[in-house]
Amino acid sequence: MAKKTYDLLFKLLLIGDSGVGKTCILFRFSDNHFTTTFISTIGIDFKIKTVELRGKKIKLQIWDTAGQERFHTITTSYYRGAMGIMLVYDITNEKTFDDIVKWLRNIDEHANEDVEKMILGNKCDMEEKRVISKERGEAIAHEHGIRFMETSAKLNINIDRAFSELAEAILDKSAGREADADHARIAVERRPSRAPPARACCS
Amino acid sequence: MSDSESVEKNGIEVSNEYVENGTNKLIVKCKFCGSKMLDKKSGTFVKQEKDLPLMQQETGKDAEVQNEKVNEFYHVENMYTFENIGFTHTVDNYKYLSCADCDAGPVGYYDMNTKHSFVALSRINHA
Repeated sequence: MAKKTYDLLFKLLLIGDSGVGKTCILFRFSDNHFTTTFISTIGIDFKIKTVELRGKKIKLQIWDTAGQERFHTITTSYYRGAMGIMLVYDITNEKTFDDIVKWLRNIDEHANEDVEKMILGNKCDMEEKRVISKERGEAIAHEHGIRFMETSAKLNINIDRAFSELAEAILDKSAGREADADHARIAVERRPSRAPPARACCS
Repeated sequence: MSDSESVEKNGIEVSNEYVENGTNKLIVKCKFCGSKMLDKKSGTFVKQEKDLPLMQQETGKDAEVQNEKVNEFYHVENMYTFENIGFTHTVDNYKYLSCADCDAGPVGYYDMNTKHSFVALSRINHA
């Protein structure tokens, strides 16, 4: 059991305004045929998912912000060790799209500078309520040199693909380095401390 | 959940058809969606009595959590041994384990003190 069962470990974060569906991306519980009231009441802190890319077995540890974004208190502790960030907006809500720029600044300020980012336009199942065209999403992503994808957590469209692509981008980035699992094994077993933030940082 | 029971490793003499040499002979999967949680031979079979919240809670019964006693677990020392798994927020120094794909659970728990995970045999499928 002491044998290492994977090659790499990537810590990924979900970032974006409240209500864009970050929690739904992590917590799929919707139209399942059973009621997981216990799990849905407590909520998911993080998930571990395994993907295989280019013959490497990669463990993804994916964290939600647990509502901290509501108070603009996403700080360095949350970003610590993050190798990839999913930046999420809601295609039916203009403000969440405008705030992407704020979040990018927040990431620049607090996250590791070589963190790999990806923008997700979520809720693409709600076409009739769409206010942000796919082209606008692509444009902002292109402007910042970031990958982009439209997703629907509700219908499970592009979610797994988005995580695979982000993981692949991290893999590309680390390809030059001698990245073994021990190197990637960052201290992520505990939730970042909830200490009061030094300042509000993205308003 | 009480901490009093010690983790007692079960020897080779296993009554359980899914256990071989003290570990899970087969892949551990979600009962509902089939998502792979543990690879073969990656959990150590242990017997310990624990109260685990029911997967389906009756609604309208105050805030009381309904538990059942569970006796058989796979012990997983390193959380990264899991193929796919969800961890809930912490409650009384435990996190509960859920399916990473359909969120069914709890299928077990994670002890914040020891950092070890325990998957209930009765809450998963073997394949």
